[in-house]
Amino acid sequence: MTFVILLIGLCAGILVGLLGIGGGIVLVPALTHLLHMDQHAAQGTSLFVLLLPIGLGALLEYRKKGAVDFQAGIYCAIGMLIGGYLGGRIAVPMPSRMLTQFFGGFLMLSALLLWGKATKRTFESALPEEGDA
Amino acid sequence: MKKATGFFLAGIAGGIASGLFGIGGGVVLIPIFGLLLAFDQHRAQGTSLVALIPPTGLLAVLAYAKSGYVFWLTGILLVPGLFLGGILGAKVAKRIEPHRMRQVFATLLFLLGAWEVFGNWKH
Repeated sequence: MTFVILLIGLCAGILVGLLGIGGGIVLVPALTHLLHMDQHAAQGTSLFVLLLPIGLGALLEYRKKGAVDFQAGIYCAIGMLIGGYLGGRIAVPMPSRMLTQFFGGFLMLSALLLWGKATKRTFESALPEEGDA
Repeated sequence: MKKATGFFLAGIAGGIASGLFGIGGGVVLIPIFGLLLAFDQHRAQGTSLVALIPPTGLLAVLAYAKSGYVFWLTGILLVPGLFLGGILGAKVAKRIEPHRMRQVFATLLFLLGAWEVFGNWKH
């Protein structure tokens, strides 16, 4: 069991670095389907894990490429602290099953929106083709 | 200043999703950065990682913990893999071109969403 958990962590971590996300979108499905936690427990545990600076190693890699806007990140973090509390207050009283469907639907919708824009090249402006110094 | 407000509002949106779904919030931040604020995909992802540095999710965790929804030991065991995997994933990401990167991101997101919705049907 311990080994499975460690392995889930590693897989989720790879996606953290690859996608620049917290890992929750991987952890939550993995915890519910592989460890059979209920939706609330999976989300609570995922949030707890994300409290620790797990993305720091990945962040340093992005910084080497110059792909980090720290100012934007910090403003965002302040908003997230507040928003996180609001979201938690909404989710806790919700039925677990409804929360699962809501979460999955949300992920698929975001994916479709992003895919639609992925074909437009106009957004890829800022990053120069630099050689890593 | 106008930009700062935009980032702050992006953070609020990301935070609500974070608390609501138990996620980091990057899935919301990255599309906002990329599509509304015109960051390229790598910059969006790198900046999202800054916003995810603790204690961003602290208040959300407390909301869950109060109801007994946090499994602390399992959580701790997930950490080492996440940290090492994070570095590995970032190294891979650097080799992918921005255009392709967004497609990779969207595809993985979709698959994970489908897993959530349809994986539950057999229970």
